[in-house]
Amino acid sequence: MHRKSTMVTAIALSASFFFGAALAAEKAPTKEAAKETVKAPAAPAKKPGGQQVKKETGSAAATANAAKAYAQASAELYPKAKQEGNLVVYSVWDVEHLRVITEAFMKRYPGIKATFWQGRNPEIVTRALTEFQGGQASFDVVLSDNAPPVIRAAGAIMDYNTVQREVLYLHDPNMATVSLQVQALAFNTKKIKPADLPKSWEEVASPKYKGMIALDDPMRAGPLSSMLAGLKTQWKDDARLNNFIRNLKALGVPVHKSTSAMFRLVISGEYAICMPALLHDVMEEMHKGTPVNYVKTVPPVVFPRQAGIYIKAPNPNAAKLFAEWLISDEGQRTTDSIGRETSRNDFKSKTSIESAYGKTMKPLPVTDQQFLEDPKSWLDKYVKPIWEG
Amino acid sequence: MTWKANRLALRQGSLFPLCASTVAGVVIITPVLVVLWRSLTSGKLGFTVGLNATNYLRVFADKDIWPMLSNSIVYAGGSALLGTGLGGLLAWIVARTNTPGKGLVELMPLYPLLMPPIMKNIAWILLLAPKSGILNGMLEQFLGITYPVFNAFTMAGMIWVFGIACVPLGYLFLLPVFISFDPSLEESAYIAGSRPVHTMLKITFPLAIPAFISAFVLNFLRALRSFETPVLQGTPGDIKVFVSRVYDSMALEFNTGLATAYSVVLVVISALTLYFYVRATRFSERYATITGKGYRVRVIDIGPWKYVTFAAVCLYFLAGIAIPFVVLIVVSIIPFFDYDTFMSFPSHMGLNNYRTVLRHGSFINGLRNSVLLSVVIALITVFTGIVMAFTIHRTRAVGTKIFEFIGTLPLAFPPLVLSVGLVIIFVGTPLYNSLWALGLGLFVAYFPYAFRNASGAIVNIHKELDEAAWVHGARWRHVFFKITLPILKPAVGGALFYIFIEAIRNVDVAVLLTAPGLEYGPVTLFEYFRVGQWAEASAGGVIYLIILIVAVSVAKLAFRVKFSL
Repeated sequence: MHRKSTMVTAIALSASFFFGAALAAEKAPTKEAAKETVKAPAAPAKKPGGQQVKKETGSAAATANAAKAYAQASAELYPKAKQEGNLVVYSVWDVEHLRVITEAFMKRYPGIKATFWQGRNPEIVTRALTEFQGGQASFDVVLSDNAPPVIRAAGAIMDYNTVQREVLYLHDPNMATVSLQVQALAFNTKKIKPADLPKSWEEVASPKYKGMIALDDPMRAGPLSSMLAGLKTQWKDDARLNNFIRNLKALGVPVHKSTSAMFRLVISGEYAICMPALLHDVMEEMHKGTPVNYVKTVPPVVFPRQAGIYIKAPNPNAAKLFAEWLISDEGQRTTDSIGRETSRNDFKSKTSIESAYGKTMKPLPVTDQQFLEDPKSWLDKYVKPIWEG
Repeated sequence: MTWKANRLALRQGSLFPLCASTVAGVVIITPVLVVLWRSLTSGKLGFTVGLNATNYLRVFADKDIWPMLSNSIVYAGGSALLGTGLGGLLAWIVARTNTPGKGLVELMPLYPLLMPPIMKNIAWILLLAPKSGILNGMLEQFLGITYPVFNAFTMAGMIWVFGIACVPLGYLFLLPVFISFDPSLEESAYIAGSRPVHTMLKITFPLAIPAFISAFVLNFLRALRSFETPVLQGTPGDIKVFVSRVYDSMALEFNTGLATAYSVVLVVISALTLYFYVRATRFSERYATITGKGYRVRVIDIGPWKYVTFAAVCLYFLAGIAIPFVVLIVVSIIPFFDYDTFMSFPSHMGLNNYRTVLRHGSFINGLRNSVLLSVVIALITVFTGIVMAFTIHRTRAVGTKIFEFIGTLPLAFPPLVLSVGLVIIFVGTPLYNSLWALGLGLFVAYFPYAFRNASGAIVNIHKELDEAAWVHGARWRHVFFKITLPILKPAVGGALFYIFIEAIRNVDVAVLLTAPGLEYGPVTLFEYFRVGQWAEASAGGVIYLIILIVAVSVAKLAFRVKFSL
């Protein structure tokens, strides 16, 4: 028994020491986080911030104003940013893309060392908010699509209204929209004739496409749920939306949790239609000669990719400068060079809405605040009752 | 335990292994306790409110979890059974039969380990997809069979792909047992008139039960929490598994507490499987195949069957790595995959995907960090795993069975949940954003493999060897270093190899613990898989596999690493 009690005591002592330390590390920040908590939920209510403002076309005057405002902001921010010396970016973008972006930024602004950490959106949110709760001044910018609004909803994003807002296709007064995610209705050219293609998103749910469609899982924060959020805003008709979801469900087609894997299966010929695919993926494949294309008459879904500045950013000036640079002409050219869609309405690239769909196309922007900040509750309210009901 | 026995235990100096195991146990259990504590707070990250049981109430109220759990158990049980059974059979062939080409046959079951599960998933989807799969395409083109015979998006498809990936672990766990087998046990059966097959079924295989269950438990838990196969193959087939609830809690709600509450269901299943294991091996001396008597392991002459066993090993090699590898090689040199392009690949060949991968600056830089860290972690983890197994099975301290549970516990938690616990511990300390934190994270994640491997192997060593040493006044270190460790050499080699290979490609645990600016090979290499660029991913995978195959072969020749006789 003596040995048993020694054993138990040894475990208990060590456990209390390590666990105590871990809890202490968690506890202190939790107190701080509790203070933040008081503020955090109020943040979105206090500011109607995050409301996306859509401006489809630019003007020469707006372009000139933006260039002037950027030059002025750059002149003001650069000396302070240089003094800070560093910039830490958390992002969902590919490592190689981040490398190109940060190197171009460092070349433009010598004296600022930009480093990055890359993860998926859930990983970014988890890491950023754990650090936020721990009171850590650990990073400066979150560069992503789904993550920034969620982090902002927790009160961990600093308000920053870009000086170049006049030229943005989608503008959020609290966070700089530096790129766009454009979702298209893609298809395999060997598997379906152009004449047989759906003419709208709604027509995809027609029974004649049963067995031909690959559907993104509408119950995850992915492209299809974004589209549903966009359609809800545009249609302003819940009965129509419900009917659309019901018809999609009635198709009984497989759903996918990985948009990219789903797109590969469309290329391979497993499915004929991809609901939906990312426009830059489709363009890249078309460039390689892959038998895919997109339906040019179906409005693309546009989702903002933002650079959110962390509320405890150790280098806030470098963060602001980075956000501004990404929207500047040079930043947009760099973004375009890595194949990502630009966010300015006056920037011409092969993936811009205008060149991909023509001047008359009215895209479908995702601006639903509740969806952006708390996709789970939005899906529970509008999609789950029909999809799983 | 009597006072006399306690004094004997103290005299043997068992305090060091006990303390070392306790420290390791605490390091392992701390992140687990942190996430468990977190599960008792409601709200998403950033909105933590007081302690309550909301997350658990949500889990208990979730009606969907029962069908999901039953799918998970069928999938995990089927994969573990296929993988461990096939692994055991291959181990027996390699260790105990006169199958020709020993040097080659010994390595063949190990090479598939080098191919990460996600690469296998992609290769098998390309092979078995109902409409666009290569095998169905061939059946249609050459035999006129239009009905899709194969379907990757079924439970059978999932079990096949993950089960094949489970084989190396079963092989590595059972090989040392068959290698170190006291032939007198079988000879007694032969003398009593038993035929070889009968002896094999009644004597040889039953004695390998502890190692088999140990490997089965590990494979079962791996499958239970695995995510790639259910996402890539299960979701399109409308097969929902339990672990997707854990990931949805993280990916959709960003709610670590809820994810942990769901993970606790996996912990309960793990505890039950471990209880079953502990019960099954409680009379460990029954399974001791290594005794104090001098002997030489007997290789059974199986006559012309040796060609059948050789063919069986080759077949596994084909299914485990050769066929998927060839598919990936072809996919990596064609611009895009579809059946027609695949079949006419000579006219579409190009090296663009390789150029893209090799231009990826982080590829080589990151690999350096991960190789270094993986070697160190494999050494530390395997050594600590053996010490803990030694503490449980060889010291006289009471209560050490708790380590069976603690040592396996991290396996019950999906990596992302576990790494959140680690981040919470390290954040705010100098360890955060350092290689130390990453190293500790990998230690916690891979400790169960080292521990279960050692535990399964140590049970097969008869206590009489230790007792002879104790009687002669040996202390624990003499017994450990002079008796246990040398006998465990094949198991140690296998575990080192396995953990090194697993750690070098770890993304799930590492991703939250790598620092900004720190390039870590797997995170960048597997990014292609993560973002779904299959052609580039295949090119990267082919380069990665060639590097590993060459490294393993060179290591085997240079250091004479030996996994069998």
